[in-house]
Amino acid sequence: MTGDQSAQQPASGGTATAVGGIEVASVRRAFGSVLAVDDISLTARPGEVTALVGPNGAGKTTLLLMLATLLVPDHGTIRIDGFDPVTQPGEVRARIGWMPDGFGTWDALTVREVLHTIAAAYRMGPVEARARTEAILELLHLGDLADRRARVLSRGQKQRLGLARALIHDPSVLLLDEPASGLDPRSRIELRDVLRSMAAEGKTILVSSHILTELQEVADRAVIVARGRTTESQTLDAVELATTVGSWRITSLDPDRLRSWLHDHHVPWRAELAAVEVEVGGDEQAARLLADLVADGIRITAFAPSQGALEAAYLAATEDRQ
Amino acid sequence: MSLHGIRTVAGLELKQRARTSRWPIVLLLWFLFVAGVTFLSYKALNTAAIKAGPTLYDVTTFLVLGLSMLVVPSLTATSVNGDREAGVLATLQTTLLTPADIIVGKLVSSWAIALVFLGVSSPFLIWAWIAGGIGFGQVVGSLLVLAFVLAVTCAIGLAFSTLTARTVASAVLTYLGMAGLVFGTVIVFFMSFFLVQNREQVRYYGIPDSFWQSQPTNADGSPSPDAVVPTVGDCRHLTREENVIHTERIWWLLPMNPFVVVADAAPGRVLTNRDVYTGFQPMREISIGARAARAGADPRERQECNFGNPGDPAELPPLQSGPIYPYGLAFYLALGAGATWLAIRRTRTPVTRLPNGTRIA
Repeated sequence: MTGDQSAQQPASGGTATAVGGIEVASVRRAFGSVLAVDDISLTARPGEVTALVGPNGAGKTTLLLMLATLLVPDHGTIRIDGFDPVTQPGEVRARIGWMPDGFGTWDALTVREVLHTIAAAYRMGPVEARARTEAILELLHLGDLADRRARVLSRGQKQRLGLARALIHDPSVLLLDEPASGLDPRSRIELRDVLRSMAAEGKTILVSSHILTELQEVADRAVIVARGRTTESQTLDAVELATTVGSWRITSLDPDRLRSWLHDHHVPWRAELAAVEVEVGGDEQAARLLADLVADGIRITAFAPSQGALEAAYLAATEDRQ
Repeated sequence: MSLHGIRTVAGLELKQRARTSRWPIVLLLWFLFVAGVTFLSYKALNTAAIKAGPTLYDVTTFLVLGLSMLVVPSLTATSVNGDREAGVLATLQTTLLTPADIIVGKLVSSWAIALVFLGVSSPFLIWAWIAGGIGFGQVVGSLLVLAFVLAVTCAIGLAFSTLTARTVASAVLTYLGMAGLVFGTVIVFFMSFFLVQNREQVRYYGIPDSFWQSQPTNADGSPSPDAVVPTVGDCRHLTREENVIHTERIWWLLPMNPFVVVADAAPGRVLTNRDVYTGFQPMREISIGARAARAGADPRERQECNFGNPGDPAELPPLQSGPIYPYGLAFYLALGAGATWLAIRRTRTPVTRLPNGTRIA
């Protein structure tokens, strides 16, 4: 991989900077009178998985189209491994693997033929194309689907084919738009593992998704966009998470005693079906609360954060939505 | 643009088409239709006195060209916007394929399919060649011109498919464009006669008005039974004012018509001698007419001193100019190259402006 990365550095005298990864600065894009992306800035570093989250219509897909060299931004700059997608699309295309949301595929071709075609489109010779195809089929567990026509694949299988397509030329930057949608639980876990291992190889990975719990497990950082703007960029770092106020859900065999105990100790709570939810300021406080409850003989069966930090941040960032 | 890129796209397109359409049935229907028309023409026209070969050749060539004009646009008219709608165009655009690879690859694959249709009809063209004394060169030459016109048709469809977001719109526009070339050129040619006509003095050799005026008439002005029938001896060299249509100013509309190009390109014909008439030959008639149109207003003396007697001057053969198909080929070359260039331009990414309703991915 180190060899690859040194090869990616542009020759001296090029306009590209030596920075790898994705740099987006104040990008804006309108379609007629509709402002799809107003002002988005973000950084995705090599070796990290960066999550792009936001409500529907926040501009995520438009941003990814600009990163994928398909759309020119009205304003602002983009650098991918130091190259500008507008003026150096060829350089960028050689380095990115783009998996669009809701893409189509050539219905009549088999999975293997689709991958051969894409490999040829990346100027690989037939021998190399076959070798890469088999490697990717293996990596994404698509081997038993290899000779099926793309038309008969389920949505989740098509998603996996889309990921395979994005990986065929061993790109250094991955742009994935909703990669987990339609995937069954096992495939999701496999996707997570694939993304983590890609990041470990030093690739830059930008994933847009709605499934926040999934993202929280895989992403190093999250960029939250709403109404075409970056509202927050946060590190999903254990230390930071430990001090964030969050909701915890408590289930007990003695619900009445639990509620009166919370009441007596002036802990604000609200009923959530059979459980109760309390607001706790960080892991330290949560641990103390649990110890106190157990010490007072209340039989606790479950004690867990009710929403992820990412979910909390997302809800906070988008709560002004109508 | 690279050979590898073009081959990748063309291979993909051909594989897609071969597996998604019922080509064997379509080709069989095409074969049967061409076979039926050719066979019936042969039965109707071949007599001991007249060889049906030249007629068969004309009928078959025009039939194949006409049918191709219906089929071929459908091969490309929804190619680019259809791929866009299906979400597969962007998949190729984000690879190292250039827009030229994509467009030329699509052009090559659709042309290859058009050539299959031409190939299926070639047995009849060759039969016509055998049935009548048509040279081998003529068959090959006409096939080449046909193949070229089909390639341009593919390019026109491709260009329209990059111009509109909806596949229906590009299909309609492509067919309108083809109708413009096939019918529009001829209609505009004939309708613009009034623009190029002048009152001019023309020379003629015939009976002077004074001859008729000197004949006795009845009281009501009808010819009297005493009137004399004119003879050759009464003919004079005279002039009169007439409407003269200067088709030499508008002849260039004709080689824009694919049928005229194909008809005029068929080599090895004795075009000036109309007396050697061996039956219905639309291509020959079109070729003669188009070349006469290019030659324009006839400056020769009109021969009107015909009384059916032996020795009367025969009607003059139509004026001839050089072949006009080279102009047609040049026009189609420019049209095809222009359409391809436009299609490549319209497939370039990243894009700045998106037309309404267009999807990228």
